[in-house]
Amino acid sequence: MLLAMGGAAALPAALPRIHIQVRGRPLHALGAHQAETVATIAELIIPATNTPGAREAQVPEFIDVILAEWYEDADKERFLAGLADVDERSRSLTGKPFIEAGEAVQVAVLKGMEAEAIALREADKQAPTHFWHRIKSLTLYGYYNSEPGNLQELKRPVLPGRFDPCLELGAARPGAL
Amino acid sequence: MAVKSYDAIVVGSGITGGWAAKELTERGLRTLVLEAGGPIDPAKDYVEHVPPWQLHFRGWGDRKKIAREQPIQKHCYACDEWSGKFFVNDIENPYTFDAAQPFHWIRGRQVGGRSIMWGRQVYRWSDLDFEANLKDGHGTDWPIRYADIAPWYSYVERFIGISGERLGLAQLPDGEFLPPMPLNCAEVHVRDRLRGAFGGERVLTIGRCAILTQFHNGRAACHYCGTCERGCITHSYFNSLASTLPAGRKTGRLTLRPHSVVREVVYDAQRGRATGVRAVDALSGEELEFGARVVFLCASALESTRLLLLSKFADASGQLGRNLMDHTMGGGAGGTIPGYEDQWVYGNRPNGIYLPRFRNVKAQHPDFLRGYCFQGGAARSDWGRGNSMEGFGAGLKMALRTPGPWRMSFYGFGECLPNPENRVELDSQVKDKWGIPALRIQCVWRENERKMLQDMAVTAAEMLEASGATDISTFVQDNPPGLTIHEMGTARMGRDPATSVLNANNQCHDAPNVFVTDGACMASSANQNPSITYMALTARAAAFAVDQLKRGEL
Repeated sequence: MLLAMGGAAALPAALPRIHIQVRGRPLHALGAHQAETVATIAELIIPATNTPGAREAQVPEFIDVILAEWYEDADKERFLAGLADVDERSRSLTGKPFIEAGEAVQVAVLKGMEAEAIALREADKQAPTHFWHRIKSLTLYGYYNSEPGNLQELKRPVLPGRFDPCLELGAARPGAL
Repeated sequence: MAVKSYDAIVVGSGITGGWAAKELTERGLRTLVLEAGGPIDPAKDYVEHVPPWQLHFRGWGDRKKIAREQPIQKHCYACDEWSGKFFVNDIENPYTFDAAQPFHWIRGRQVGGRSIMWGRQVYRWSDLDFEANLKDGHGTDWPIRYADIAPWYSYVERFIGISGERLGLAQLPDGEFLPPMPLNCAEVHVRDRLRGAFGGERVLTIGRCAILTQFHNGRAACHYCGTCERGCITHSYFNSLASTLPAGRKTGRLTLRPHSVVREVVYDAQRGRATGVRAVDALSGEELEFGARVVFLCASALESTRLLLLSKFADASGQLGRNLMDHTMGGGAGGTIPGYEDQWVYGNRPNGIYLPRFRNVKAQHPDFLRGYCFQGGAARSDWGRGNSMEGFGAGLKMALRTPGPWRMSFYGFGECLPNPENRVELDSQVKDKWGIPALRIQCVWRENERKMLQDMAVTAAEMLEASGATDISTFVQDNPPGLTIHEMGTARMGRDPATSVLNANNQCHDAPNVFVTDGACMASSANQNPSITYMALTARAAAFAVDQLKRGEL
């Protein structure tokens, strides 16, 4: 599929796959409930539409790698505390954890967190990054650097094969407005 | 120990070592190239087509490992999850500096050296540059002029393939160009507006780069995947691994020995000549010695000078290690170019715009000497702006499917004056993994460089205004010297053995069969990306050396 674009005939048929595959890796930082909470939030941020969403793009798996191996321990703990707080907010509204609360409540919880995060940033530019901004930026990064995020959503092939400096937008990215 | 002898030894296999290897072997010398690092197999090691989702951290890199092993190298934009392996381990390869005056020494040890992940921008110097030291008194006069190097620029350009646009500017001579890469529509807009506002004084063009726009010398044209610093399986950008080293190998006279860390040039004080080099095998620790009639140091500016310092024969002038330079970078501005919202690019152009030096070309600027260029370009922002947008869900996803407005940026690169107090010495205590004394580096930006950085922000903003840009923001970054990765000087060429280390042919005044042709030889820095000048000087010096050998004068 990657090699379907023109101009790539001279390239080797198989891409080198020398790096560790993320796919199929067991989770190291998130428990099952936490992982499902992350997946639910990520899918609400970037849902499946006519292209796949964050869940299919394995955003929760990416976030798990970052928590387990990239973040400092204090950042990881702060993130997990933020995740627990999502459940708290949901329980205070419905008595149920976030993943069981239904989409209307879930959206309301996220909107509440977003408003709080924006107010915090405006009040104090030095304030530590709010959980909402962390999970949103992790979701966007993980999604737009995933296989469906690149190839299906952004229509960005690995091998363009040519450079066109000035193309009608709809031809450069079908579906863009 | 039996010493194996060659006609020539080249230390280093990067952008200049490759040229020395090609020229010396093609001109008949049996040549040994010693490379400190290991070999590279493009089929296995090049990763330009590995997409982020096949990487463990999707491109973020192994932060904790990098912090442990590459605390200096990580500052380079290209030292990422893909290309980090092309940069050295800072623990194995230490150097020292005063913590308050950092110098970021970005290094690559492998066959091909930094030509594997270099920036590929190539610009000729002119006599405005070669005469600068003589005219304003900073540094010592270059022993050559443009006429001496011009045919060698052409010689190198014809072999490696440079794409670019001819401009007919005296301060930035044209070269032997393949067709230029195109500007995008916002860049064309800015170029045309600048023409109207500044006449012929400020000229925007596409970068001149060592990337092929058509088939050339057995190598394929660029396929616009866009990440050359990760390698190129079609060899469409120039590096020594795919071009000069194979040319040398074709002669049957090239021997390339990786994992060979040279520790000393062996010098016969009686004869005033080098007789070879001593090295250590990086893997086994075995001590090695090789003999040769001529030695070319092409190990990178600071590594070649380190070798001369370790060898203790090339410093009669007291200038060895002095006059370290790098280009200042990071004064400039960005702005939004209104319109063209129905237009975009397809493919990833691994090149940007170039705006040649215009300061101190005709009129003298009151605040500073010499000048700077701009690089940069126009692009539409993509999904990344979602981080600062409110909202989430299908609406956000749809909004991010459409790119944001065109942003044009100018990013300045400025000349650094030679100053003897910017210098390297051997550190009295710290040694590298192989027990070889490390360098101690002292280098700071001074008043002239600082004033130039300020001016970059002013003139960049002027040009954006003239282009009708909105939301113009200026910047003056405080990047440490070294990070531009144009470090040069410390064994300068000159006319007088009392004030310079090398002569007009890159020959050590103190040992005529030792040539230094990498960035160490530079007597001033100009503002242009320097690699093409190093390559031209190397080819020229190699031709001279072989000629001298044939006449029995070396």
